[in-house]
Amino acid sequence: MSKAIYFEDVNIGDAMPAFTSDPLTRTHLVRYAGASGDFNPLHHDETFASMFGMPRVISHGMLIMGMTSRAITEWIDNKCLKNFKVRFSGMTEPVDLTDFENTKARATITVTGTVVNKFTEGGENRIQCEIQAADALGGVKLTGSFIAALPSK
Amino acid sequence: MADKSKLGMEFAPYTFEVEKGKIAEFAMAIYQKESKDQISPLYTDREAAKKAGYKDIIAPPTFQTSFPLWASGGLMPIIQALNINLMRLLHGEEEYEYLGAIHPGDSMTGRSKVVDMYEKEKKDKPGKFMEFTVIETEIRNQRGELVIKSRSTIVER
Repeated sequence: MSKAIYFEDVNIGDAMPAFTSDPLTRTHLVRYAGASGDFNPLHHDETFASMFGMPRVISHGMLIMGMTSRAITEWIDNKCLKNFKVRFSGMTEPVDLTDFENTKARATITVTGTVVNKFTEGGENRIQCEIQAADALGGVKLTGSFIAALPSK
Repeated sequence: MADKSKLGMEFAPYTFEVEKGKIAEFAMAIYQKESKDQISPLYTDREAAKKAGYKDIIAPPTFQTSFPLWASGGLMPIIQALNINLMRLLHGEEEYEYLGAIHPGDSMTGRSKVVDMYEKEKKDKPGKFMEFTVIETEIRNQRGELVIKSRSTIVER
């Protein structure tokens, strides 16, 4: 849970606290498949992925969006979130446990964000923050933004 | 290629019953954790949620992505109805507008509609186009309150 953040304390240009994930494993993908009900075999069955010419399974884009939502709600309260949107731009491959050190960077997701606007709407004080999720090699997975209504002092 | 005559098409509504265990399972998945003790208590502990100003346990911000997957076969009925080639399908964008909270015991009904279809020329392949289909969904609870509006953009590359 996040601590209360007040509208007056946030300024345009401020960075949201950066969040870095654990390296994504195939087990994480299976757990997300079971939780979400998205059993597209592209996310757990390497023989299926190979039929598309892909060397290995890839993460659900919505898992990356979910991890991004965690980063956001570790900064602002869930009830403050009014809008959250992303554009998917890259696939994420899980770490290979047989070669962990050399493959963890591609599977480790960092979420960063910057406040780009402060405004009043519907009697609420709101901020807009642009966000990005990228792996440790610089590969961008998604870009987007969220709007939060913050309490005033 | 997506069938443009399907613009405005509405899909059969689906209803998803929100269970406490499913919220915790989803939250553990996005936290990459194996135990309820390692995630935000707002997703597992009613008392903690109440203390933080909520009526009950709440759902994570992307939880509703699972509703059509469990309640109506997910995107597949939509993809088939629109005649979209599965081999060329990408999830392009996802947007949620939050108007209320989701709690265990809620019965959530989603109604989806095709609100836009357009194409864009590929930068690296002039004369070739990517097709975009935008699906808007209104998700209401058992009291008829609009809780979430979502927009999903699916792409045929």
